[in-house]
Amino acid sequence: MEETRIVHGYWELSTFNFNIEARGINLMLEGFKEKKLKGIKCHQCGMVYLPGPFYCRKCHVNIDEPVEISDHGTVRTYTVQYADIRGEPMPEPRVSAMVQFDGCDSWVMGVVQCDPKDIHVGMRVKIKWKEQTVGNMQDMEAFVPE
Amino acid sequence: MAEKVAVVAFKLACAPDLHTTRERLVFNLTRGLFDELGIDRHAIDSFVMNSNDFLDGRTISTVFLDAPSGAYLKDETKVEMDGVHAVMYGWMRIMSGQYETALVVSLALTGSQVSPYVYTQYSLSPAYERQVGLLNELSGAALQAKAYLSRRGYSEELLDLVAAKDLELAAKNPRQIRRLENAGVERVRSSGPTYEPLRELHCYPPTDAGCVVLLASEKKAAELTDKPVWIKGFGSSIDTYFFGERDLTRSPSAADAAKRAFSMAGLTDPAREIDFAEISALYAHEEPLLAESMGLLPEGEAEKAYRAGDTRPGGSLPINPSGGSLGAHAPCVGGLMRLCEAVLQLRGEAGDLQLDGARTALVHGQDGICAQQNGVVILGV
Repeated sequence: MEETRIVHGYWELSTFNFNIEARGINLMLEGFKEKKLKGIKCHQCGMVYLPGPFYCRKCHVNIDEPVEISDHGTVRTYTVQYADIRGEPMPEPRVSAMVQFDGCDSWVMGVVQCDPKDIHVGMRVKIKWKEQTVGNMQDMEAFVPE
Repeated sequence: MAEKVAVVAFKLACAPDLHTTRERLVFNLTRGLFDELGIDRHAIDSFVMNSNDFLDGRTISTVFLDAPSGAYLKDETKVEMDGVHAVMYGWMRIMSGQYETALVVSLALTGSQVSPYVYTQYSLSPAYERQVGLLNELSGAALQAKAYLSRRGYSEELLDLVAAKDLELAAKNPRQIRRLENAGVERVRSSGPTYEPLRELHCYPPTDAGCVVLLASEKKAAELTDKPVWIKGFGSSIDTYFFGERDLTRSPSAADAAKRAFSMAGLTDPAREIDFAEISALYAHEEPLLAESMGLLPEGEAEKAYRAGDTRPGGSLPINPSGGSLGAHAPCVGGLMRLCEAVLQLRGEAGDLQLDGARTALVHGQDGICAQQNGVVILGV
């Protein structure tokens, strides 16, 4: 039988453009500057999204009502990470959790600064903001126990 | 099982640049359609998404588009081919008796956000055509055009006649994006050469397009519209992938697809029984080539028919009375553009382009380089 051979292929992705509407993300990042969480609420069903989309998934209507959300919340689920996605061991185990902030329906993912032995579902946490917030994703340094 | 299925409503958006996001486009089309009909997303039993990941630029791209289309927690599926296949799929879901309504949601932003030719480029075999490096969408179309004209003994002027006929009609159609003044043979002939024998105005214009089409069972259609347009038949067929193995001078797969559709619709003399055809001819030569292959024009008679005006409105068999794909075309949405135009004709709502007594229409969609795959729908009122 003839051996199979490899030919090189590629998928050129640089020719794609994406128009985006970033109102919900911009609102969130603007809030970060003041160390606040800002989402968008559906006027019809009351669902509060973070970051806010331009429409409600359930009601299928345009939504545009900014709403302030507490930076304290509850751990709804978590995982402790010992290796990265390619299998390389982590220098230290890392705790990442999904937190539901008070007054918000969406859950937000972030790193919890705590001993992996202490993390649990239902744990109360708050955001540890950077001292100088500038309006980017790094402003939210971590979640820490209340 | 359902008795029959109607196209009850649609919404179409086309522009060189729609200046919108993919999500906003499908939201506005679906929300707009629901508002016009006085329904909401819960009236839709099944969503058939119709897009292409190469063109979207995201894998499994409909995950981003389901919720803005209203499909949150609804039955949802996807067709990554021309829109007529998505219509066929929706029609089958209703015919199964499991669903009363199906909404096809189709989009491709190939005017502003990605080149339509990318799609063809990445469909080429990495082991052969990509290594040779000569075949692409335009060279393929040009090779097919030359082979066809030469085999039939037609002059290259036929390309100008076809394009002029289509572009004169497109100029009168508010849904088309290429609406030229003085779109006659002279204008076509003086447009820039691409790959011989094709010139710019023999080729479809890159288009941003989105379309939603609502299908319903006979019972549900009666609640939603006074003017149902019935799906009478469907046929699909695919040619060999390899370009060098095909008969480029005709389209056996279009012939086969049409034969199946005619048989299902009970048409025995289609060239007489069909009042007009909306054909996805992306390049001027494809219109007579596909019409001949589908039995709408006698093989070898196309140039004579075009010169005599047989394919114009008022002729013996009008082809693309909307202006066709040379006025606007995008992958996936293309076949639906033709379908929407046929629906308007059959409802008597085609405005300046309205034909007299149009009751049965052939709608054609295609996929793949030089129409490797073809789908044919017969619509009637």
